[in-house]
Amino acid sequence: MKSDTPANPLEMLAYIISLQIENDSVVYVGTGLPMVAAILARKTHAPNITIVYESGGQDPIPGDMPWSVGCPLTWRKSAVLMEMAYSFGQSFNGYVDIAFLGFAQVDMYGNVNTHHIGKDLTNPKARLTGSGGNNDLSSLTEKMVLVGLQTPERFPEKVDFITSVGHLEGGNSRKEAGLIGQGPVAVISPWGIYDFEPETKRMRVKTLTPGIPFEIAQQTTGFELLKPEGEIPESPMITPEALHILRTDVDPNGVFTTMPS
Amino acid sequence: MSKFSYNQEALKNLNIEDTSILDSLVDFESARAAHLKKPRSKVDKRISLKEAVAEYVSDGDVLSDAGFAYVRTPHQAYFEMMRQGKKGLQVIGAPNTNQSYMINYGTASYSHNSYIGAEMRGTDRNYSRQLKEGKVKILSEWSHGGVALGLKAAQLGAPGLMSKQMLGSDIMKHNPYVSTIQNPLRNDPDPVAFIPALYPDVVVIHAQVADKFGNAFIYGPVVNDSALAVAAKKLIITAEEIVPESSLRYGNGKKGIVIPFIYADAVVELPFGAVPGNMPGYYYWSRQWWEKTLRYASPVEEKFIEHFNEWVMDTKDQFEFVEKLGGAKWVAEARRQTKAAENDNEDIDFAYQEFTVDNDPGIYY
Repeated sequence: MKSDTPANPLEMLAYIISLQIENDSVVYVGTGLPMVAAILARKTHAPNITIVYESGGQDPIPGDMPWSVGCPLTWRKSAVLMEMAYSFGQSFNGYVDIAFLGFAQVDMYGNVNTHHIGKDLTNPKARLTGSGGNNDLSSLTEKMVLVGLQTPERFPEKVDFITSVGHLEGGNSRKEAGLIGQGPVAVISPWGIYDFEPETKRMRVKTLTPGIPFEIAQQTTGFELLKPEGEIPESPMITPEALHILRTDVDPNGVFTTMPS
Repeated sequence: MSKFSYNQEALKNLNIEDTSILDSLVDFESARAAHLKKPRSKVDKRISLKEAVAEYVSDGDVLSDAGFAYVRTPHQAYFEMMRQGKKGLQVIGAPNTNQSYMINYGTASYSHNSYIGAEMRGTDRNYSRQLKEGKVKILSEWSHGGVALGLKAAQLGAPGLMSKQMLGSDIMKHNPYVSTIQNPLRNDPDPVAFIPALYPDVVVIHAQVADKFGNAFIYGPVVNDSALAVAAKKLIITAEEIVPESSLRYGNGKKGIVIPFIYADAVVELPFGAVPGNMPGYYYWSRQWWEKTLRYASPVEEKFIEHFNEWVMDTKDQFEFVEKLGGAKWVAEARRQTKAAENDNEDIDFAYQEFTVDNDPGIYY
């Protein structure tokens, strides 16, 4: 299939996500790019991670890419398959280090909407998936990383519905609401990586994808992005080795890393 | 006056005026009374799917989904509810892949939501359309973990559990059952969500094997089913195979869980009961069928009805459905696929041609 072509944006994203995963950690993933990234991390810099899935599978032996979080490939000869309540309980009890979540909208405090577009849940412009495990992981897991595309509609000043609390209204408000863990530590989009300023908990540019100026990031954001002191560093580029492993060993059929036509 | 104290803000946001519609799901006393009336002796509970649905599913019941997304979901029992013209069910979609098809036929009229959609294959545009047209009313919003804890509370024999999920989110403003309280143990401010024990009226659990009394063995993701079995006022067990009781006895080395027979009201021998979903050990899910449903049928009401008329209302049972998927060839390939995914078969190539409108595959792998 594709061999020498340059990395596409999804492949670059998968690589950036994989870099968030430290070796010897427990990683909670949903379907899609985070799953690709976790498997890539395991095959590159983080061979000793334990991958946990919402359907209850954990630490499956390697196989093809799962086609869904409930796919047998997520619990392939797992030593244990957790019931759902217990699986999320592991996050509460401090046995999960990092989780990756998608979003339809994310605001300046990292609050996530996956419920609907519009003002009224009972009569939306479009109903989306709802929480699934998104709220559970964001409420309970030590560190969260949010992953998605970046447009002004997807990065509004206020989300239409808070499915999952990030830093709520900034400052200490997440903790005051009763939630545990650090909340979102990073937002990853094709334009770059964002973190949250420690005091206000507002979204801040951390690094930008090579070739993407700050103005592009700002123009596709519905609120003012904070900037770090000095020059904004560039995000790392996918290495030829990682790209090769991604294409031959992680997602050879391009299930999750083929750009939609 | 209702004996339940519901979250007033949620009632207002969801436009629920008559709260009696919410009561059954949290009515511990009626669940316990129903459980006390179940047969205690080991009696042969085998009946047909038609009989089980006719007898144990009543219009307006709270039906909780079981299994997980594409896995072990009792789709064929839901299809039979549609064929029999059941009406006005409240469906707990947690987890839920695409059971919104029940709304179009009036079988489901209310939903308790934690997930609606098909993961990477996208959102459920049919549900979105039904909601906007007022064909379905939302009674509560949840997270997956929130529902799991409500059911687990029932299984544990607790009136409810305190949790750290859903706090501060808008889900709390759209769930009449859950409220934020101060943790009574703590002196410092410590908000917790109180989640009541949940008792659905009826649940269908599709198991790999069961005996004629209702002991049911599940392997693969159990998700909420061990809790659902205890909580449900009425429990229908459907199974791929009915086996002698002795083969479900402890210590035979099988990995999985067994739901005890005392919970079961009916046992249905139902090979292919989870089709078109995945049944671990038996068949992989029909990816192309779901793609056809989501990409071809879901966006337009007329196509959706045409599609479900063809596959459900105009088929007699699951065998006709399997014939339409591709018959014996589909069965052999689907079995090979799930076994390979489970590492019980030599690895195979999972690549396939995705369904497109211009390329209807004929066999729906």
